[in-house]
Amino acid sequence: MVSEAQAPSLPATSKRRTTGQQAILLGSKIWSWLFLLMLVFYFSWQGTGFFSLRNSQNILVAIVPIVLMGLGQTFVIIAGGIDLSVGWLMGLSSVISALVIREEYNAGVAPWLAIIQGLLAGVGVALAAGLINGVIVAKLRVPPFIVTLGVSFVARGIGFLLAKGNIIAGQPQLARDLGNESLLYYVRGEGGGWYFLKKPDVTGAQLRMMDRVFTWPVVITFIVVLVAIFILHKTQFGRHTYAIGGNREAALRAGVPVDRHVILLYMMSAGTAGLAGVMHAWRFSGGAADAGDALLMMSIAAVVIGGVSLFGGQGRVIGTVIGALILAVLQTGLIMINVKTFYQYVIVGIIVILAVLMDQARDLIVGRAEAAA
Amino acid sequence: MFKKLLLVTVVLALAIPLAIPVTAQDDKPKIGFLPGVVDPFYQVMELGINQAVKDFGLEVVTQFPESWNVTVQTPILETYIARGDLDYIIIAPVDKEQMIAPLEKALEAGIKIITVDTFLGDGDYENGLVTFPISYIGSDNVEGGRIAARALVEALGGKGKVFVENTNPGVSSVEGRAVGFQEVIAQYPEMEFVGMEYCLDDATIAAEQVSAVLQREPELAGIFGVNVFSAQGAGNAVKAAGLQGAVQIVSYDATKDAMENLRNDVVTMVLAQKPYDMGYLAVAFAMADWRGVTSLPKRVTTGFAILTKENMDDPEYARFIYQVP
Repeated sequence: MVSEAQAPSLPATSKRRTTGQQAILLGSKIWSWLFLLMLVFYFSWQGTGFFSLRNSQNILVAIVPIVLMGLGQTFVIIAGGIDLSVGWLMGLSSVISALVIREEYNAGVAPWLAIIQGLLAGVGVALAAGLINGVIVAKLRVPPFIVTLGVSFVARGIGFLLAKGNIIAGQPQLARDLGNESLLYYVRGEGGGWYFLKKPDVTGAQLRMMDRVFTWPVVITFIVVLVAIFILHKTQFGRHTYAIGGNREAALRAGVPVDRHVILLYMMSAGTAGLAGVMHAWRFSGGAADAGDALLMMSIAAVVIGGVSLFGGQGRVIGTVIGALILAVLQTGLIMINVKTFYQYVIVGIIVILAVLMDQARDLIVGRAEAAA
Repeated sequence: MFKKLLLVTVVLALAIPLAIPVTAQDDKPKIGFLPGVVDPFYQVMELGINQAVKDFGLEVVTQFPESWNVTVQTPILETYIARGDLDYIIIAPVDKEQMIAPLEKALEAGIKIITVDTFLGDGDYENGLVTFPISYIGSDNVEGGRIAARALVEALGGKGKVFVENTNPGVSSVEGRAVGFQEVIAQYPEMEFVGMEYCLDDATIAAEQVSAVLQREPELAGIFGVNVFSAQGAGNAVKAAGLQGAVQIVSYDATKDAMENLRNDVVTMVLAQKPYDMGYLAVAFAMADWRGVTSLPKRVTTGFAILTKENMDDPEYARFIYQVP
């Protein structure tokens, strides 16, 4: 949606394209969907228990932190930046929120209130770190790669220091329920069925027939995804994000408040990572400084596989969700067919490169600025 | 886009039980093995598991997490649960607190748990914080730490500064080792404990940390490396500083690398754990439980073999060196 004024000097591309070019264009749009479908079909056919309600939920739970970290990242990368701090910010947030919850809870505050305080503290700290990222990137013009890497190390250190090199446990049961209980329950077999918002009163053998459908972190992530889709694709904020990534100077001339916008983007990115950290503390009943360590690169891979261009200017939120789904389906699928999950990394590596090639092929055909639109 | 997103979620969520495998109660249990990380210790454990699985005519599913982190181990565990065909999971939980909730879900799904090498809660499955696992099979790590400390005290003549290179906080096994070590060191007035660092199971980081400590503490006389990677890093740092012999190292885990260091006098003593036994016993316990045996001990310690330069070639001892194909 870049207007003429914001994207000057378009390369004069021919509107009449060859069939081959059209195929590439179409392919670049839908290949990740097709690849995901193909994986689902293959693993359902080959694997034990892959195509089941339980595993579908397992996959959704697994992508929560990757999607959350990837969401903010999607905005930042579309605007031509990158945020390497989200991994350790997630850990720092999990530590801070778990600390606040534990201290308040031990001091006699009601669990729900302690949890809200923990949520605010965890996300708040992440937002503050995002503000630092954003200000240094936007105002001092330091490359985002360096700034966010630096902040990442600071977060890492503070996380371990606050946790005194340990895990912050001692969380109330309510926090654990929030991380593990769900909106719906399904009980298989006789006398079973769907339960809404109410944990069925089953025990023993029947308990094994119970599946949690849409756990709370999944529900929350779903809402955040909807909000992100709305912001990026339906608001002026979203259009400005594309404009800055497409051509920063042009965006400036067109009157986009670039600096302020960039600062907000880094805060969003840190904020969603912070939320991931808070939900980690719920799910695992504890905060850990290294909670996001293994997830940062996965989240960036999800963003790239989802078609967000590392050169900025293009990408969609739904692409990132698809990217995260591909990663989770690959991992669970390989376990279902009992193949070493290390193959996952080989495959992910190849599709990341493939995704970038697709991206460039599309650019060659339509020209950068038009692709951004 | 909203529609597509909705479609994907709905398809995933409502992929209703068409294909849920009905677990035909065949008379052999199916086992999932989930170690803490990919390293020679767990690879030897896998050999023990595989041997037992073969002896009992069972089936096993094994996946090695690529790094030591609950966010890496849990997705694998949850997929084990979702498979729907496993009866027992033999796991080395990577965190004694954070892995409780994920493992309770396995229990709810009707899968029984045996923990190997590391435990949940305080490790007392009789009366402790966590009692649902069938058993903990592993080393007595506090005692292992004590043995390491005594060996170091002896090698140093009861005098000197000592340092611990650890892996991750919140892990029952290595935590116990450090506790036992410090306990014994504190009994000797002329021994001084100068600190502990965490390398997060990365030998390169361990080497950097130990190099720095060697700078900070020129009189450092001894180092305790609590596992494969810590000991490897400590050995490399001491070698790089040319301090073999001047700084004594005692370490856990009899990897080939550790044996080489033992032979070249970089390391004074190696505590070999018995991962093969842990793996074999865990499968045997699962089999026994399946057959209705109810008197399985909640805690089994598998003991150590203490390897020195003198005995390392003696076949009686050499069989405890971690032989990974």
